[in-house]
Amino acid sequence: MTSAPSGHGDGGRGLTPADLQQVRFSRASMLHPGYVESEVDRVLHRAAEELSRHVAEKAQLREQVRTLQSQLNGAPAHVPPSEQAVRILASAQQTADNYVAEAEKFSRQVTGEARAEYEEAVRLARENAGAIIQAAQEAAARLTGPAPDGPAQGGGRSVAELEEQVAYLKAFGQACRVQLRSYLEALLSDVENEWGQADPGALPTPPPARRAAADTDADRSTTFDSNTASDQRPEQNEGVPAGSSARPAS
Amino acid sequence: MDIPAMRANFAKAAATGDEAPLYFYSHLFLSHPETREMFPVSMAHQRDRFFTALGDVVTRVDDLDALVPILRQLGRDHLKFGVLPAHYPAAGASLLATLEHFDDEWTPELAKTWAEAYDVVATVMMQGAEEAAGQPAWWDADVVGHERRTLDVAVLRIRPQVRYDYLPGQSLSLESELRPRLWRYYSPANAPRPDGLIELHVKARDGGPVSSALVRSIGVGDVLRLGPPLGHLAVGEDSDRDLLLVSGGMGLAPLKAMVDDVARHGPPRRVDLFAGFRTEDQIYDRAELEQLARENSWLNVTFAVSDDAFSSLEHGDVADVVRRAGPWSSREVRIAGPEPMVAATVAGLREDGVPEQRMSSEVFAPSRPGPSVDGEVTE
Repeated sequence: MTSAPSGHGDGGRGLTPADLQQVRFSRASMLHPGYVESEVDRVLHRAAEELSRHVAEKAQLREQVRTLQSQLNGAPAHVPPSEQAVRILASAQQTADNYVAEAEKFSRQVTGEARAEYEEAVRLARENAGAIIQAAQEAAARLTGPAPDGPAQGGGRSVAELEEQVAYLKAFGQACRVQLRSYLEALLSDVENEWGQADPGALPTPPPARRAAADTDADRSTTFDSNTASDQRPEQNEGVPAGSSARPAS
Repeated sequence: MDIPAMRANFAKAAATGDEAPLYFYSHLFLSHPETREMFPVSMAHQRDRFFTALGDVVTRVDDLDALVPILRQLGRDHLKFGVLPAHYPAAGASLLATLEHFDDEWTPELAKTWAEAYDVVATVMMQGAEEAAGQPAWWDADVVGHERRTLDVAVLRIRPQVRYDYLPGQSLSLESELRPRLWRYYSPANAPRPDGLIELHVKARDGGPVSSALVRSIGVGDVLRLGPPLGHLAVGEDSDRDLLLVSGGMGLAPLKAMVDDVARHGPPRRVDLFAGFRTEDQIYDRAELEQLARENSWLNVTFAVSDDAFSSLEHGDVADVVRRAGPWSSREVRIAGPEPMVAATVAGLREDGVPEQRMSSEVFAPSRPGPSVDGEVTE
């Protein structure tokens, strides 16, 4: 017999598969062929003990797996972060926010100042340009001013008069448009009050309305010479229905 | 659900100002680090908006009928940030942790109430996102034109790579790779076209990261990311009354889209467009508008300048200029521009007898990072 079976003794190392494979029993005697009974019994006993220990351990482990599994499914998967961690992240975030806000503020200041400077420069340039134009006009007036009386009356007066006429015509055109629109809107709202809703399809289209305005303009302008804008105003209102809230052109 | 208790608890967190949202986001990022990359570097504005939105939801939580459409839209809109269904419980857990942290009298019942309420909100938002499952979460759009019109205004032409539907007057959110995770709202200045081109008017706000990049850094060939369209300003399908359009500054864009819509689809109607600017130089789209007015007899365009002594255009605030040219009592009126201009125009026209139900308006704040719970696109 090898030392294996007895060697295990009560070492408590546990029975391994290798141990079992290496077991060699001694021959008993010539009279009793086979292994020594007591040795075989001892090994079997140990094997049985070992097996039952494994079975128990396995059951215990299975139980443990089950509880862990249920914890995993039931409880939140994540451990909630600690207060300290939350505080640290919060203050880091705030620091970052402040840097970004500061950068934006700086950018705002710089672009704001640049814009103000730009606008000021444009304003100055315009004023300069205006002054230059005015000076040029004055110079031109001085040059043409001392011209003989005859042409001056035609030329000088006609420039001023033309300007006045243009201004008047502009105002007049605007007034016509406004009044026509007021008239049409008044008609429309009348129609609406009567019928509920205006039908755009039935409206006079804008082009004829404009043409009407233009026609009136043209008529007036032929008789304009002797009139000023303010003289003309009262006449314009004649064509407007009393109910409309027309305003004179400004 | 114990709504008064919820409100009382929320008030405690809200009273801490920035502290509560700061805690919420830090908690969320620590427990789910993958959510951090959905947000911009600076969280300052995000924090304000989150708690404001949450507050709005809490005040209306007993009026679910009104809340549901808003939440659906919100859920749909969140797709563009890359939000997945798994992120909703994550945010819910951090929200509860935050509310607990700032309330000394936190109880398990309160936790249960909040969990239920959050669950309703999250479910509705996720439904909204699911309904849009046929659509992309966002649309990539190529910049095909970039034109600096004034010192700080550019007109961009972009072409979405796949079909992008919107209504004239609506706004769309966009993000550029140059300013990741910063979404801003702009209005297309044209009605949808067969070739898909969209015209955007952008004014560089001083210190504004997105608008400055769009005006000064973006060029042809760059790609923008678009979110779904939204906003309530519309031409109105149910009326064919003549239109009066009044814009202040960059509010011109949605109104120009309406002009374009009338030109493309009718119904035939007269359109009077009044565009107010501070100075004549700032009228960045003058040539195109004047051309439109020449080509279309039904269109009248009037420019008004409020602060330009040299200009030969109409002087005064656009609200006054419009009223001088009135009456407009028979028109459908659409107004877009800065808040004071919109308020003055609405009040003036109301005084002149334009019925309230025929006016609709939209305030264009300088920066428009996102919609409120009401679907307003402004801050």
